[in-house]
Amino acid sequence: MTGKRSPRHSAGAEYDLFALADAGAESLGVNSAFSEPPPPADYHAKDEYPGESAQSAVTVSTLTQTAKDVIEGAFIPLWVRGEISDFKSHRNGHWYFCLRDSTAQIRCVVWKRDQRGIPASPDDGMQVAAFGRLTVYAARGEMQYTVTKLEAEGDGLRRKALEITRARLQADGLLAPERKRALPRFPRVIAVVTSPDGAALHDIVAVLRRRRASVRVVVVPAAVQGENAPDELCHALDQVNRWGEADVVIVGRGGGSREDLWAFNHESVARAVAASRVPTISAVGHEIDISICDLVADYRAPTPSAAAEAATPSGEELLGELRELSLRMGSATRASLRGRTEQLRHIGRDVAAASAAQVTRRQSRLESIAGRLHTLSPVATLARGYAVARDRSGATLGGTDAFRDGMPFDLIVRDGIVPARVDGVPNRSAS
Amino acid sequence: MTFEERLARLEEIAGSLEGDVELARALALFEEGIELLRSAASELGAAELRVQKLIERADGAFEVESRE
Repeated sequence: MTGKRSPRHSAGAEYDLFALADAGAESLGVNSAFSEPPPPADYHAKDEYPGESAQSAVTVSTLTQTAKDVIEGAFIPLWVRGEISDFKSHRNGHWYFCLRDSTAQIRCVVWKRDQRGIPASPDDGMQVAAFGRLTVYAARGEMQYTVTKLEAEGDGLRRKALEITRARLQADGLLAPERKRALPRFPRVIAVVTSPDGAALHDIVAVLRRRRASVRVVVVPAAVQGENAPDELCHALDQVNRWGEADVVIVGRGGGSREDLWAFNHESVARAVAASRVPTISAVGHEIDISICDLVADYRAPTPSAAAEAATPSGEELLGELRELSLRMGSATRASLRGRTEQLRHIGRDVAAASAAQVTRRQSRLESIAGRLHTLSPVATLARGYAVARDRSGATLGGTDAFRDGMPFDLIVRDGIVPARVDGVPNRSAS
Repeated sequence: MTFEERLARLEEIAGSLEGDVELARALALFEEGIELLRSAASELGAAELRVQKLIERADGAFEVESRE
């Protein structure tokens, strides 16, 4: 080890490119496979190193370029911790700020293209860890830290990003509960915007199969994490809408770290969900993860499996429903039949009553006839004290001719029959 | 007739039957209902899940490709 010299202190008298390079690499504990810096362009003397004397003085460009080559070659990208100050977002879109601790500071830049991976711009005073490379800005002879990732203490950048996005969506009315549409009860086609190889799709298909759902699941592939995820998710949602055959679309992914789920908090994705003409179900991560997408979707499912359940009625439920309809129909029809039977019975009763009246009428007529007959009958005569004589065969014995001495006969009187016998020879009367 | 349409028609039939309807009509509705119930139940039994993938061609036309 040639001593701990930081690059800043080494531009002194004992200037030695190679020692410096070694020192830089070793002091960081990283050595090695960096390439040797090329010799300065104006290096010509073999026995003298450039800048050893006033005659061989190197140019400023040589100095800064060499410093750039050495420093940039010496450092691998690192996470550096510090506090943000002097943050500025330049017109050209790049961010500039200082990262400092109690005794030192370094200028930092985040190029516009690298800001995609950073949830929100940092604020002065934030404690952050910045990942980047130490670079030299030769035109100014300054070192700067070129940052590509930034994380704030307590996840401050994500919190800030969430608040900003939420406020913007709110301002545009996209979080209003009345925007939420009902899901179709019997979707025939369910689009699923997710990773084609992810757990989410697997879970969704498994649930639909278990529920014996008759549907087409159409996967619309999109990266669900990483730098391209927001754009791919937006693109996939747009495809679903241009395609136009899906009845409902599930947007989501399985569980993961907060960073893994971050794409679903992206404003562009939230706006794409809100703009979808096809009703949306968001299903991001696990129950406890709530994303901005969840807030704008028509339905928020806690997990992809729950999304599949929300999207389709289960075969069991439908069977139950059919059973109930069948019962309703059966009892209604029976009730209706019973009603008719009741009517028939009433009618029958009326008919019976009517015929009974008829019978009564006939009966009374019969009685009157009977009464008339009665007055004409011999029975009435008998009642007045007369008697009728009949022989044993029932023939009326109308005159003396019919009687012989000793012959038995019957006397029919008012209240019965009196057996009798002829006593002596009948006498025809003188008349 | 889709399952949904069958279900809707069944609801309608049950509703009519529960109302005041002429006997001959009630019996016809009942018969229709039984037929619908039978076909809906058999459709449930034959549940079919298809998994496909959406592909957008260069000309902007879409096609679906079977998976599994």
